[in-house]
Amino acid sequence: MLSGIDYFVVIAYIVGILLLGYYFKRYVNSSEDYFLGGRSLPFWAIGMSIVVSDIGAMDFVGVSGQAYRYGISVGNFDWIGSVPAMLLAAFIFIPYFWKGGMYTIPEYLGRRYNPTVRTIASLTWIIFFAVDLGVLFWASAVLLNVLMGWPVWASILITATVVGIYTYFGGITAVVMTDVVQLVIMFVGGLTLVFLALHAVGGYNELVDKITTMGPEYRQHFDLIQPSTTKTPFPWTGILFGLTFVMANAYMIGNQAIVQRCLTAKNEWHAKASMIFGSALKMLIPILVLFPGLMAIIIHPGLEDGDQSLPMMIKSTLPPGLIGLMFSAFFAGLMSSVDSLLNSTATLFTKDIYEPYIKKGANDKHYLKVGKITTLVLLLVGVATSPISSRYPGIYVAIQTFLSYFQGPMFAILLLGIFWKRTTQWGGLSGLVIGIAFAVYLNTFKSQFFTIEDPFLYVSWWSFLLGFVVTVLVSVFTSPYSESRLSGLVYSSKKKEQVT
Amino acid sequence: MDTIENREKLKTAQINNALGVFIFFFGLVVIFAMLFTETFVQQMTDLAAGLVLCLIGGGMMLKSRKTIKSLKLK
Repeated sequence: MLSGIDYFVVIAYIVGILLLGYYFKRYVNSSEDYFLGGRSLPFWAIGMSIVVSDIGAMDFVGVSGQAYRYGISVGNFDWIGSVPAMLLAAFIFIPYFWKGGMYTIPEYLGRRYNPTVRTIASLTWIIFFAVDLGVLFWASAVLLNVLMGWPVWASILITATVVGIYTYFGGITAVVMTDVVQLVIMFVGGLTLVFLALHAVGGYNELVDKITTMGPEYRQHFDLIQPSTTKTPFPWTGILFGLTFVMANAYMIGNQAIVQRCLTAKNEWHAKASMIFGSALKMLIPILVLFPGLMAIIIHPGLEDGDQSLPMMIKSTLPPGLIGLMFSAFFAGLMSSVDSLLNSTATLFTKDIYEPYIKKGANDKHYLKVGKITTLVLLLVGVATSPISSRYPGIYVAIQTFLSYFQGPMFAILLLGIFWKRTTQWGGLSGLVIGIAFAVYLNTFKSQFFTIEDPFLYVSWWSFLLGFVVTVLVSVFTSPYSESRLSGLVYSSKKKEQVT
Repeated sequence: MDTIENREKLKTAQINNALGVFIFFFGLVVIFAMLFTETFVQQMTDLAAGLVLCLIGGGMMLKSRKTIKSLKLK
């Protein structure tokens, strides 16, 4: 599938990343170094890492495919579905987590509510990440098999070895810094592809004219806002309520893999700036992954599977060498997703489960060792369980959809926990449990409640809303913590600090 | 306080240097790929992309080495 020089570029990238990741071993001397990079990383590296972690190999291909099928409305996920949430996270939420010296989001929930909320939230994330790891390994390996002709098991084993070595030795510093390299390569390759493809179709105006005159199914391809009756998965109601209000905020504020990166910042300013810088980069992502899908409509019309649009564009537009560079970006996307899951799960397990429940008060070296062993065990579990995914074709989508279910209620209790000091521990606990249960119920009987096939945006909205209402109602009837107990955990205490 | 700050700056500079080296050499690999292209446009595309990578990597290397040198002199 690829030429010799392209393989050489991909292999050079893999070997280079391996060496680079291993180099960061020298900066890991404590558990804080391993999980939080010694709280010394600069904003630009963290911002780049946040963006890259968000785009896996599957998303890369998926967004182009969606643009091929539905047009630019898929860009909402990176624009309105990310930027406002990242700014909110930067100015309101991240400072609490960073100043509190926290390692995990469940740790905040534990301090704000009670240890049960912390454990439920942490276990939910651990189970999700662990299952997702195997699924991700398999789905991405199948993708690489289609794109590059690599045997599935070779992809899984190469990825596991490379990611395993640098994540095991280098911790989050290696994770963040390898992401920086990936972003640079992705931008250089992606912008070259867009420039050459745009030139091939005759410029932007020509692109719009040609697509909109191709037939009725293409007339809405350049409408960012789709009507609520649209057959696409992106009606404006779902985009606004499900994505913008709930999922985007839940993802940027409540997702351990994202927030943990901000906690590695050298100071509060860098922590905030990382999210703001990340949001600026995020606005450019649709240009890289969405436009190739649109241009493929003209250059490769009538593709049966829209997900083939990006690989086809790469092969037909880019010269040898840059094809290898773009496929390196695919591979890097896979590595980035895997390393994030590994490090975040190791952090959650060590800090939220092992330290409070299994061995309290051990020395730091012990927790560092536990973190490293957890990383290794997870990797082995991920590789061993990956073939199970092949027996369940819809499992990748199911797992990603599951994420949207518990993120809604978790965001509801995070939001109320910070902004409403009257929220009680029992309110938070009930909101979380009932919200998740409701999301599962809605998903199980989705055909009775929704007209679109994949209503994950609506499910996240309604589960958020119920989680929110239940938390408020239960809080009203139970007694809250004292003001001193909530110091540094709620917004009103910050305002008081500023006054005094 | 100053020692801790310097140590952190040194760490950041060393990390940037490592990243710079990687990106620079990866850029060279892309420029080398010019030898395997067929048309002038393809050659120029590889050259431009490779040079951009070399410039980014080279810039990071130069700046970080300067910082490392100044910190070690202190």
